[in-house]
Amino acid sequence: MAAAEVWKFAPAYELPTWPHVRAPDLDARERIRYPVVIAGGGLSGLTLACDLLLRGVEVVVLDEDDTVGVRGASSRGICYAQKSLEIFARLGVYEQIRAKGITWSVGRTFSGADEVYSFDLEDDSRSEQPPFINLQQFYLEWFLVDRIRALDKRAIRWKTKVVRVEHASDGAVVHVETPAGAYALGADWLVDATGANSRIRDALGLEAHASRHTDRWCISDVRFKKPLPVERWTWIDAPFNAGRGVWQHLMADAVWRLDYQMDEHADPESISQPEVAGARLREQLGPDVEFEFVWIGPYQYRDHLLDTFRVGRTIFVGDAAHVVCPFGARGGNNGIQDAGNLGWKLALVVQGRAGEALVDSYHAERHAAAVENLKVTSRTARFLAPRTAAEHRLRRAVVALARTHPFARKLANTGRMAQANDYPPSRWAPAGARSLQNVALGTTTVMQLLADGTRFLGLWIGGGDDDSASLGDVARRLPFTAHAVAADSPLAVHLAAARGSLVLVRPDAYVAATIATPTPDRVEAALRRALALDADAR
Amino acid sequence: MRTDPNIADPDAFYEAWVAAHEGLSDAESAELDARLVLLLANQLGDPQLLLDCIAAARRAAD
Repeated sequence: MAAAEVWKFAPAYELPTWPHVRAPDLDARERIRYPVVIAGGGLSGLTLACDLLLRGVEVVVLDEDDTVGVRGASSRGICYAQKSLEIFARLGVYEQIRAKGITWSVGRTFSGADEVYSFDLEDDSRSEQPPFINLQQFYLEWFLVDRIRALDKRAIRWKTKVVRVEHASDGAVVHVETPAGAYALGADWLVDATGANSRIRDALGLEAHASRHTDRWCISDVRFKKPLPVERWTWIDAPFNAGRGVWQHLMADAVWRLDYQMDEHADPESISQPEVAGARLREQLGPDVEFEFVWIGPYQYRDHLLDTFRVGRTIFVGDAAHVVCPFGARGGNNGIQDAGNLGWKLALVVQGRAGEALVDSYHAERHAAAVENLKVTSRTARFLAPRTAAEHRLRRAVVALARTHPFARKLANTGRMAQANDYPPSRWAPAGARSLQNVALGTTTVMQLLADGTRFLGLWIGGGDDDSASLGDVARRLPFTAHAVAADSPLAVHLAAARGSLVLVRPDAYVAATIATPTPDRVEAALRRALALDADAR
Repeated sequence: MRTDPNIADPDAFYEAWVAAHEGLSDAESAELDARLVLLLANQLGDPQLLLDCIAAARRAAD
């Protein structure tokens, strides 16, 4: 028998910390009131703060800690989807993400040694951003913190713990504790971005419909020299993991995330011992590959979904509002997209340029997205963890036929990757709203056009300067600008819009309406509806 | 015999198929699938098509 292997550990990531600064509120004679207070400095809270600052809204972020990521955890989310990356392009952090992260588009799913199905997300991509970039979550949060600090050095209040919230019809009073003392701050709008265990949500007594899954996994983040394709590889039943699932994905700093499905009754303590995790890696990588651990973490997952994402002047975003099964990168990306949906609405409402009812459209759209994401990820979870011998048999039938028959490949499900969800018809968007990719437009892009203020874009397909000029009065009254788009341009093709029509694009790059025969009155009516400024919305 | 994708919403179909088996014993599950085969076969009808499907299912087991 060979000598026992010695397991190497990489040094821990060095994360930045930021100093707590004494809040002006402690020395103010009267309580200070802010337009928007965000509790929680994770992905959704930071994205929203950055978005609002760029729209000229004063914002305060309250964070319990003084760093990014979660202490003791190496990384949470790793895959950032195109829509998130497009939002980050608009916020000015995309180039850092691209430079640090791992760009990929191909996924392959295996059963034993055979490939069952594959996809290339590049096939449907017309965006300036790739379908996916992998990056440890704390790097992304770090880039956002740097960007926010460049916009407003005092926006994030570190070491500031929310202890109690008083809710009122016109806002909230947030009581906090800090190293310099306790104080209270007023908020016209309070955004709860404090995550899955939100105490703000629980203190309101809101039912989150939580359920716990028995499926059990153990992550090993490792660094090794064996060259593997930069693709998302998943095994439904890996021979090197006792016939259970395995995920293999590359992150920044040449760290691979290897995620192993375990027996659901396994003891989390023992499966995460270095010798046990090391033996699993040996089995997968072979005897000669040198590797070092970066992190080992066992987990089970749960889901929940709030009935309403808005209660008076308090709004729930990210994990505080919804948690789905961890397949297809539909967690963090949807927190980011919550922020992308809410930012422009809140900014226009705070600035008096949209009706307050517009905030209800945040719930209508993002709750519908969360319902869809919960459904999609629950189906994946069910495929990956059959509960009975009969369910195993159904899955074996799929896999057996998938080897020769393309139709059966569509039934194998190791995750349906996050996409920008379509939004259902609503009074703000009677035909529903669908995301527009960040297509190039001459020397600019859709996102660059949208980064300039908080305005709707009227893309006039095949329009000329005269057409745009005819909408000058509308542009003076409402947050709107018209832009002519050549009928044969890639953007017009992507929009599938007819020559002569006007496509109304919201500040979050969702198409709110397509007006077949645009006139100033029709464009203004569609805008007023989308801004909750029409009579119905009041 | 069609082998290209023809099920409009494959994930929804799989979910419904699995759900139909919930709460059944293993033997009851096998019988459910046998009844399901008969119902689906009657939708197809064409004898040659049915023989091709039977042969393809058998081949995957060999």
